[in-house]
Amino acid sequence: MSIAAVKPVQGTRVLSYAGALLETMDAALADHANTFIMGQGVDDFKGIFGSTTGLAEKYGAQRVFDVPLMEEGMTGVAIGASLVGDYPITTHIRADFSFLAMNQIINLAAKYRYMFGGLMRCPMLIRIVVGRSWGQGAQHSQSPQATFAHYPGLTVVMPSSSQAILDMYPAIINRHPGPVISIEHRLLYNLDFTVSPSEHRVPLTSYVARKGSDVTVVATSVMVLEALRAAQYVEDKAGISAEIIDLNSISHPDWDLVAASVAKTGRLVVADTSWLEYGVAAEVCRQLVVRDPGLLRQPPTMLGMAPAPCPTAKSLEDIYYPSQHETVDAILTQVKGDKHGIALPVERSMTEGYKRFRGPF
Amino acid sequence: MKDEAIYRRLFRTALLIRLVEERIIELYPSDKIQSPVHLSIGQEAVAVGVCDGLKPDDLVFATYRSHGFYIAKGGSLDAMFAELYGRKGGVSGGKAGSMHLAAPEVGLMGSSAVVASTIPHAVGAALSFKRRGLSQIAVAVFGDGATEEGVYHESLNFAALMKVPVLFLCEDNGLAVHSHRPVRQSYRLPEHAKSFGIATRRLEEGWDMLAIRQATLEAAAKVRAGEPFVLEIVTSRYKEHVGVGEDFHFNYRTADGVDAWKRRDPLIVDQKLVEALRPDIEREIEAAVAFAEASPAPGRAELLTDVI
Repeated sequence: MSIAAVKPVQGTRVLSYAGALLETMDAALADHANTFIMGQGVDDFKGIFGSTTGLAEKYGAQRVFDVPLMEEGMTGVAIGASLVGDYPITTHIRADFSFLAMNQIINLAAKYRYMFGGLMRCPMLIRIVVGRSWGQGAQHSQSPQATFAHYPGLTVVMPSSSQAILDMYPAIINRHPGPVISIEHRLLYNLDFTVSPSEHRVPLTSYVARKGSDVTVVATSVMVLEALRAAQYVEDKAGISAEIIDLNSISHPDWDLVAASVAKTGRLVVADTSWLEYGVAAEVCRQLVVRDPGLLRQPPTMLGMAPAPCPTAKSLEDIYYPSQHETVDAILTQVKGDKHGIALPVERSMTEGYKRFRGPF
Repeated sequence: MKDEAIYRRLFRTALLIRLVEERIIELYPSDKIQSPVHLSIGQEAVAVGVCDGLKPDDLVFATYRSHGFYIAKGGSLDAMFAELYGRKGGVSGGKAGSMHLAAPEVGLMGSSAVVASTIPHAVGAALSFKRRGLSQIAVAVFGDGATEEGVYHESLNFAALMKVPVLFLCEDNGLAVHSHRPVRQSYRLPEHAKSFGIATRRLEEGWDMLAIRQATLEAAAKVRAGEPFVLEIVTSRYKEHVGVGEDFHFNYRTADGVDAWKRRDPLIVDQKLVEALRPDIEREIEAAVAFAEASPAPGRAELLTDVI
C-alpha cells in the first residue's frame, strides 16, 4: 500500500515534527524570559534531532545549555528553578535515560503541588524521545507512557503529529500548572505533516483523528499513523469504516470520547507503542468495562510490543512491533472475523515505509 | 553587648524548637499526631545559627527532619501544629505532615522524605538567581548520609561548573538511621568537595549558635559572590531516628557521645535563660496547640484538590 493514500487534513502549510518542536521551543524562549532548555546536547550540532538547533546561538548559553550526565540532578535542578518561577524544559534523547530521573519525577515533581497543599508548584516540560528501528535494542526503545501516567500529579502526552505539538506545547508551556512529560517518537521527527492554525483546539485531551462507524481504533503516538494507514487500506479493500481516536493525552484522555465511539461501533482495537501488560491497552479496557461491560460486542484486539525486552536483530525487531500487516489484520478481524479472507498489505515493517513518508499526517 | 542580644535571639528560637518538640513528645502517645516525626532535638543550634546568618529572602531546601528549620526560618507555629495534627488549618492543609513542612512565604521551599532529593532543587533555584542577576542564595540542607547519594555528587559538579550561589549545608550527626559513618563512607567530605573546586569548612562546635551563625555569614558571603560552598556542621541527634523516644537501649550507639554533647548544649547548660524565656514560649506553644485542636479535619472536598 501507499502511504500517500492517507487522506490529508485541511492545512495551510507543511511542517516536520522536528520543525514543529523547534518552532514551539523557539516561541517559548521568545515569549517568556523565564524559560530555559537544558539537556544533554541541546546546544550541539544535532540539536536533539533538529528540535533545538540554533536556539543556543539565538538566546544565549544561559537559556539553552548542555548539562553533565546527571539525569536525576538535572531534573532536580529543573524543579528548583521552577519553584522560584522559571519554566524549565529538559530533554532526554531516549526515554530510557529518563528512568535515571525517576526519583525526581515521581517522588518530587509529581508530588510537590499536592504534598504541600497547593503551596508549591513546579510547572515544567520534560521531553523524552522513544526510539524504534535500526537496532535500538533493549535500552533505546522503551515507551514509558503507562509508567508515568500511573502516578497522579504528572501530565503525560504523546504528540503524534506536528499539529499535536503546535496545539499542545504552547498550552503546556504558557498555562499548565504542573509538570508535563511529553513522549515524542523518534520515527516521527523527520516526517512532514500538514498543519493548520490551532487556536480552536482543546489541546491536552484526546481527539478523533478519523471518523468511522464500524470499528474504533484507539491509538498512541506513531501507532496513530499506523492506524490511519490501515484504516485507509481497509476502506479501499473492504469498505470498512474505521474510527481512529488519537489518545494524545495519556494521563488525562477523553474517556467520554472513547466510550461514545465504542458505543457506536461495538468493536475495539487498541494500538499502543508499548507493552500491553498494565498499560494503555489495559486502561482503555478498564475505562470501558467500568462504564458499561456491554459496550463491546466482542473481545477487543490489542496491539503493542511483544512481552520481552526489545531485541536488536532486524528480523526479530520486525516481528517484535505490531506491523502494518497486523494492524490491518486486527481491524479486518474485528469487523469481518478472523476468516475475513481479505489480502493483507505486503509491507510488514513500518519503518521501511517511514523512510519515504512525506506526509500529510 | 551586641553579641549578647544576638545570642539571646538565637537562644530563644532554639529553645522554641526544643520546647515545641518536647510538646510533640508529650502529645505523641495521644495519637493526635498520626504521622512519623523526626525530631531535631540536639540539632537545633544548626537550624537557628544558619537561618540567622542568612538574609530573609534566601531560600532553604530541607529534609524530613525540619521542624527546626521551619521555625528558625520563621514559619507559623499555629500552622505547624495544625499540620502535624492533619488539620485544614495546617500550613499545607494536613497533606504534608511533619516530613514535608514548607513555608515559602519565609523561604522554606519544601522538605522531602527521600534523602538528598532536595539538594538539586537548591542548585536549580541558585541557577535561576544567577541568570536573573539576583543577590539571593539557596541553601541545600542535608545530613551526612545524603552525601552518599549520587545526586549529591551530580549537584556539586553542576553547581561548580555553573558557579551558582548555593550553600550546601551538611548537618553531620554521624548517623544514617542506625548506620555509622565507617560502614558508609570511603571518602572525607571536605576532600570530596575540593575535588570539584568547591571550598569547604567543617565546624566541630555544632552546639555553638553564634559560631554557626558566624560561619554561615562568612560562607554565605562567598556564595553570594558566586561560588558554591560546602559547610559541614557537626551535631548530635539525641532522640531515635524517627519517633519520640530514645534508642540507646538498642545498643547501636551509646549514650556517652550524646551525654558529652549535652554537657555543652546551651539549652541544657544555661538553665537561667531557659527559665526566663520558658513561660512566654510555652504560652506561644499552647496557643498553637489550641489552634490545631480547634482546626477542622480536611475531608472529601480536599482529597482531590491540587493534584495536577
